[in-house]
Amino acid sequence: MTTSALTQGLERIPDQLGYLVISEDGVLASAGELENDEHTAGIIMQMVRTACRFRLQGAAEPPFKRMSGRLNKTGHLKSLTLPHTNTQYYCSQHDANQHSVLSSVMLEDYVYTVTVSGQKVFVVKRQINQRDPVVV
Amino acid sequence: VKQFLLQKFWQASLCFFTQLSNNQNPINLKQPVILNVCGLDVFLVLQDPSERKPLITQPNPDRPLNGTDWSSASQPTARTDEQALLTSILTKTALNIIDVSATDSQGMEQHEYMDKARQYSTKLALLSNSLSQKKPTPLPSLTSQPHQVLASDLVPYSDVQQVSKIAAYAYSAISQIKVDAKEELVVQFAIP
Repeated sequence: MTTSALTQGLERIPDQLGYLVISEDGVLASAGELENDEHTAGIIMQMVRTACRFRLQGAAEPPFKRMSGRLNKTGHLKSLTLPHTNTQYYCSQHDANQHSVLSSVMLEDYVYTVTVSGQKVFVVKRQINQRDPVVV
Repeated sequence: VKQFLLQKFWQASLCFFTQLSNNQNPINLKQPVILNVCGLDVFLVLQDPSERKPLITQPNPDRPLNGTDWSSASQPTARTDEQALLTSILTKTALNIIDVSATDSQGMEQHEYMDKARQYSTKLALLSNSLSQKKPTPLPSLTSQPHQVLASDLVPYSDVQQVSKIAAYAYSAISQIKVDAKEELVVQFAIP
């Protein structure tokens, strides 16, 4: 698959703010708010490598198709959800220095979605348009 | 980790012996050698088990136990037991300790190097078989339709919020796990 074939599909994703295509050797393509963002790429690759090691009950495959989450100011992935399975599994990773996570309403209205296909990691930053009523 | 270190150790030893076998001059191998294996300094001592001299000579078994000895053994039984215990501990330790001081300087012949090199490569091959399975696994493919997967509906925000809260509680709970020291870890070892 050529790079343009890879990125064409990503460009067309509604409400996308930017994307990254990463391989083991580095960033293959980037655009929008993630253009040349090797820092984010590195963090996400690390998260993916860790998350892909999860297995359930001796299964052969990781139990998810997609990861989504946000990055806080210090660049640590703040929350991570793994949908696209029969049951939903959630995990969250926190910066060692964070004392409280949910002290306030999340003001950022975007989310990173990540998946892996054919030895490449695809990351899309998507805007959240609909906001559910905030539970206080 | 142990397997990995062992493999590295044999690799280093093999390297060492291969280099030696290329060298014409016999080198005194009774001297201890320091190799660097993965950043650790390994102290390598090559010694034939048959050549090992015990550090402590066994007490003379022919020492006569006549009447005079019995009188000297009139000390409380506890003391002689203590002595025997100490001696046995010392002997056991001495048997396990290899004396690294260079005593005789017999060099190794060329063919002995080759033999050792061959021995070590066999050992290495055995270890390599068990270790080759531990290569870093490539990324598994999660989907064949990355665009579709990435474009589909996002997880509801309320779900994310709830899960983040649960995860925060879990993180807080885990961070509060600590050891409650009740007793001294190190105590005096008293022989009654």
